[in-house]
Amino acid sequence: MGTITESKRQLAWVFDLNKCIGCQTCSVACKVLWPQQDPGTEQMWWMTVNTKPGRGTPRDWEAMGGGYDAHGKLVLGKVPTPEEIGGGWDFNYDEVLRGGRGSDVHLHKTSGAKSWGMNWDEDEGAGEFPNAYYFYLPRLCNHCTRPACVEACPKDAIFKREEDGLVLRDEDRCEGAQRCSSACPYKKIYFNSARGVSQHCIGCFPRIEQRVAPACVRQCPGRAAFIGFLDDEDSAVAKLVKKWKVALPLHPESGTEPNVYYVPPLSPAPLREDGSFDESGDRIPPSYLESLFGPGVHAVLKSLRAELDKKRRGLDSEVLDTLILYRWKDALGHLDRDPAEIVWN
Amino acid sequence: MASIQGNWADAYRDKWKWDKTTWGTHCVDCYPSNCPYHVYVRDGRVIREEPAGDFQTIEPGVPDMNPAGCQKGASWSQMLYGKERVLHPLRRAGERGEGRWERISWDEALTDIADAMLDAIEESGVESIVRIGTPAEGGTQSMALSGGVLDRIGVTSTDVQSEINDFNPGLYATFGRFDPAASNDDWFHSDLLLIWANNPAYSAIPFYHYVAEARYNGAEVVTIAPDYNPSAIHGDYFVPVRIGSDAALALSMCRVIVDEGLVNESFVREQTDLALLVRTDNARFLRQCDLEEGGSESIFHLFDQHSGRIVEAPRTLDLGALAPALDGSFRATLADGVEVEVAPAFTHLRHRLEDYSPEDASVMCGVHPENIRELARKVASRRTHILLGWTTGKAYHGDLMERSMCLLLALTGNWGKQGAGIRSWAVGMFDGQFILRDKPRSGQEATREIVAGQQAMIDAMLAEDPTATKEIIIAEMSYAGALPINAVPSAFFWYHHCGYREAWNNAGWGDPSMKRTFDEYVDEAVEKGWWQGSATQAAQAPPRVLFEIGGNLLRRQRGGQRMLLEHLWPKLRMIVSVDWRMSTTGLHSDIVLPAAQHYEKPNFPYTTPDVMNLTFSDRAVEPQGESRSEWQITLALAKKLTERAKARDLVEIRNGNGERVRLDRLYEEISFDGALADDDAVIDEIIRDSAVMGTIPADTTLESLREKGWVRFIDWGLSPMALAQASDLSPNETHSPFRWQTEKKEPFPTLTRRAQFYIDHEWFLEAGEELPVHKEAPAQGGDHPFQITSGHPRWSVNSMNSTSSIILGTIRGEPVAHINDGDAAARGIENGQSMRVFNDLASVVVQARVTPAVQPGQLVMYNGFEPYQFKGWQDFSNVEPGMVKWLHLAGGYGHLRYRALHWQPVPIDRAVRVDIERAS
Ligand code: SF4
Ligand code: SF4
Ligand code: SF4
Repeated sequence: MGTITESKRQLAWVFDLNKCIGCQTCSVACKVLWPQQDPGTEQMWWMTVNTKPGRGTPRDWEAMGGGYDAHGKLVLGKVPTPEEIGGGWDFNYDEVLRGGRGSDVHLHKTSGAKSWGMNWDEDEGAGEFPNAYYFYLPRLCNHCTRPACVEACPKDAIFKREEDGLVLRDEDRCEGAQRCSSACPYKKIYFNSARGVSQHCIGCFPRIEQRVAPACVRQCPGRAAFIGFLDDEDSAVAKLVKKWKVALPLHPESGTEPNVYYVPPLSPAPLREDGSFDESGDRIPPSYLESLFGPGVHAVLKSLRAELDKKRRGLDSEVLDTLILYRWKDALGHLDRDPAEIVWN
Repeated sequence: MASIQGNWADAYRDKWKWDKTTWGTHCVDCYPSNCPYHVYVRDGRVIREEPAGDFQTIEPGVPDMNPAGCQKGASWSQMLYGKERVLHPLRRAGERGEGRWERISWDEALTDIADAMLDAIEESGVESIVRIGTPAEGGTQSMALSGGVLDRIGVTSTDVQSEINDFNPGLYATFGRFDPAASNDDWFHSDLLLIWANNPAYSAIPFYHYVAEARYNGAEVVTIAPDYNPSAIHGDYFVPVRIGSDAALALSMCRVIVDEGLVNESFVREQTDLALLVRTDNARFLRQCDLEEGGSESIFHLFDQHSGRIVEAPRTLDLGALAPALDGSFRATLADGVEVEVAPAFTHLRHRLEDYSPEDASVMCGVHPENIRELARKVASRRTHILLGWTTGKAYHGDLMERSMCLLLALTGNWGKQGAGIRSWAVGMFDGQFILRDKPRSGQEATREIVAGQQAMIDAMLAEDPTATKEIIIAEMSYAGALPINAVPSAFFWYHHCGYREAWNNAGWGDPSMKRTFDEYVDEAVEKGWWQGSATQAAQAPPRVLFEIGGNLLRRQRGGQRMLLEHLWPKLRMIVSVDWRMSTTGLHSDIVLPAAQHYEKPNFPYTTPDVMNLTFSDRAVEPQGESRSEWQITLALAKKLTERAKARDLVEIRNGNGERVRLDRLYEEISFDGALADDDAVIDEIIRDSAVMGTIPADTTLESLREKGWVRFIDWGLSPMALAQASDLSPNETHSPFRWQTEKKEPFPTLTRRAQFYIDHEWFLEAGEELPVHKEAPAQGGDHPFQITSGHPRWSVNSMNSTSSIILGTIRGEPVAHINDGDAAARGIENGQSMRVFNDLASVVVQARVTPAVQPGQLVMYNGFEPYQFKGWQDFSNVEPGMVKWLHLAGGYGHLRYRALHWQPVPIDRAVRVDIERAS
């Protein structure tokens, strides 16, 4: 069993779900950057974005268990199967483009999961037309303060990095027991069958070491992603999480104290039976949001609405100005270096 | 501070390292594109790309544009080495479309092509060679440079606007320009954003954030769409409108504004034609020629309330001391002494709006009357920007929807100021690429001479009509075919050669208000000379050789492969596809020429007011395999064509206009005797020419762009779509179009010189469309219960990324169509199952995505998949009849005349009727 050490400082991510458009740029940026196309990594997407409500990726991950129980005891859950993770597809390019069989064959999957992919239930949501509802939820390793994976690892291969709290895996030590995966309540750990090790988001530590923001944050065109130290009062992350408290962790009941936070989603006024706007109604059921972000979500939404109202009356709102992000670099905290400046020798 | 050690950690650190970076972007039609990236190279391979993130703040208090990018951009490097890449010249070795290839040398390929071209020229004239106007690559290389030989010898080139139909005919009819394009950061200034017939969360990924940020800044965001689309989720209100009824909604909002006395009357008087007097007896404007013998047909009248008299309307928007009446009935004495009743167009509009009480309109558009009222009041009291997409132009009566939206903005004074207006698209400013082929010799001296000549011509024309503007003059030159793009309205090409005539004459699929057959309208339009010149001539030459450069017409064509393969393909002796990937069109070609991909050549994307930058994309690595830049392909073809022409003693030919064209020095002419034969040389020339023409800073060169990556435009130059922006281009303000109209009172380039809501063209009167009106979409494809809406996909730029394995991993790995959960249940279709979608034309099988976000009766099929991703290669275009609206054949009326990229019949693909069943 591994031991959880305390880090001196903690990096945290914030995703503003009122800005996230589900474009998957973060996911793709991560997959292209790190070895997630090598043999054994086909199904890996360390960063994923799903439409919520939805079964997500791995399919029905929220029902797979893990984390800590009410007494703080580690709970081992399910290890997702390849079919539940989904994807990992290759396609019959040669057959279609060069095979000489014309329209008898069309481009299709030749390997991988049959019934699921990392973004299978894109844009589906729930509710009933015209009051359907959905939003996008980007997810990566939460770099938790109480990482269940660390405690569960029989080889003590996972650790919290001292200077920034990233949860990293010594892949030389990992033997692929996958206890981490069963313990992780977020199911953000993948198994590399070619190498016999597990892998997960590395927090872009090589970039962070060079004062460059992680790819998922730096490439987010929705300007929905923020990063920084929680104790750096100047960082947008600290302001949103600590000062104004408008960003909440996902499934706080898991007990792992995640360090990825979300500004919860507002939504358009629903329509009454007769088609008129119900200005005071909720399109997304508050209970659903509570099931994701805990009971604190109601106060956050209320305060966001109050801030919006201020802006509409021509008053200032520091919270919204931070989320507007007049200068994009302000999303990156101290990690605002342009990577192209770096010259390796 | 590398506190962690170990091989595993070093492997990751090493993985991130690179040898060099270059500037890159994706010179494609992802509009507005222009996302500056750094491309990372290691060991001679592109390993990844990442946004540069170095945009500066333009206007203090407005968010910057960083980082700008998307998931396609983030994985472009992976397609460079993808299995869909074409790396060698290929010649068909089986039937067309079979996918059996023979690898041949460039020399063999070019010889085949040149011989086929010369055969066609000898047999049927050079117009029998067709270049499909295509935007897919949208870069300088494929758009401007690839045309080197083809344009010079005078091949038929179909109009890109009708090929893709990103036209806004209603904006054009109203403003004489279809293309207001505010800079994206201008959205931030709005108090009310109406996302209407648009899904920017998909189609404007790099810039959607301005919607969310405007909202945080106090704006309200309203999404008007049939489905609860991904852009609606972050709005304040979602207005589910019945498919195709947007005009009824807009007109009803106009009615509320009129009824409640919310009209901005001074704006309406000054900016629009609604104060112009219309004769009651014949519904035509009261023209000078009505009042005096030999009077002008384009001088109109107002009733001045100060003097109590009918006076001539000024030819600019400057009303001086006039106080035009918007209501009333007046009497005018015609030249022959007869007295007629006249009334301002606004009075007619009042009558028209009588049909659109919120209660009545609610029945038409499905929106609750109170919601219509509330929305109308919001628009009347706030700075409103309609973020219009390109859906309306693809709807049969989309022109009416757009005219109604423009009317809403007119009544509320909502254009010509920051944060207000309506959105379309525009390209321009990079003038050097347009001038290249007109230059007598290389170098900037020649450019200066041309610029001086153009300026003298403009000055002379302005002296002739001091009320005109530079925009109006350039538009006139463009109508006269004086500008370099020599395009043919595609509708005539399809009508004559591609089998569309039958569908367009199918009374059941067309507009029920048509009083005659489509053929009769075509005949009358041609007889009246409305489409004179190359349009009709070239359309009649039999097509023999076809070039598709960087495009994919068998994916794009409304009416689908079905029409083209059946009707056009058999007429063609040679089909050439130039592309870096194998598209469906490539599969059906005779020869595929491998083009260099985006990180393998110096290039620029379309330049647009949305971003306002010239963005450079460099050669990060040498072209893979035997691929070549389009410029090198053009030059090689030029050489080969000359060589083969000489061999058969065909050194002089005549183009469609009967002008002599010599074939014996093509390479020398196009490359300026080799001076610009190198990619870098020609790109540098275009940059320097643009600097001379004043659109970019004077010291901009290829070298400076290699250093800095991009540069902000400083002036509009002379391209029509840039001048159509009609606002000063400021270095430290967001761009909002039409400020020259509101601030300088400059005229609109319309017949009446005002924003024109009343169109008294005889056909418009015949159609009952002289004023905006709501009409139901015809039953295209037969009488079936579902209507297809479609649109720009999230995951592909046209079809370019739709076969990328990494992108396919972010969706279901295959095409899906979105169907309402109730509809699916009623048909026993479960999420993920196959469904058969069919109508009178064809049947298509696709996987179902079941969701309550889609309106009952709606089927959403996002565009962009390759036909070869569908079973039997039967994609959705096959169920589209590809109709055009007959009224768009109208011409001979002020701005309703053909010029490239503007007024012309454009194909329809929205609201096609289908039925759906579970596929076995
Ligand atoms: S890149 Fe940003 S906007 Fe796009 S899905 Fe990821 S977090 Fe959301
Ligand atoms: S921090 Fe880096 S490794 Fe982790 S999800 Fe983001 S991009 Fe991927
Ligand atoms: S594909 Fe277009 S939108 Fe996407 S990053 Fe490239 S230029 Fe930007």
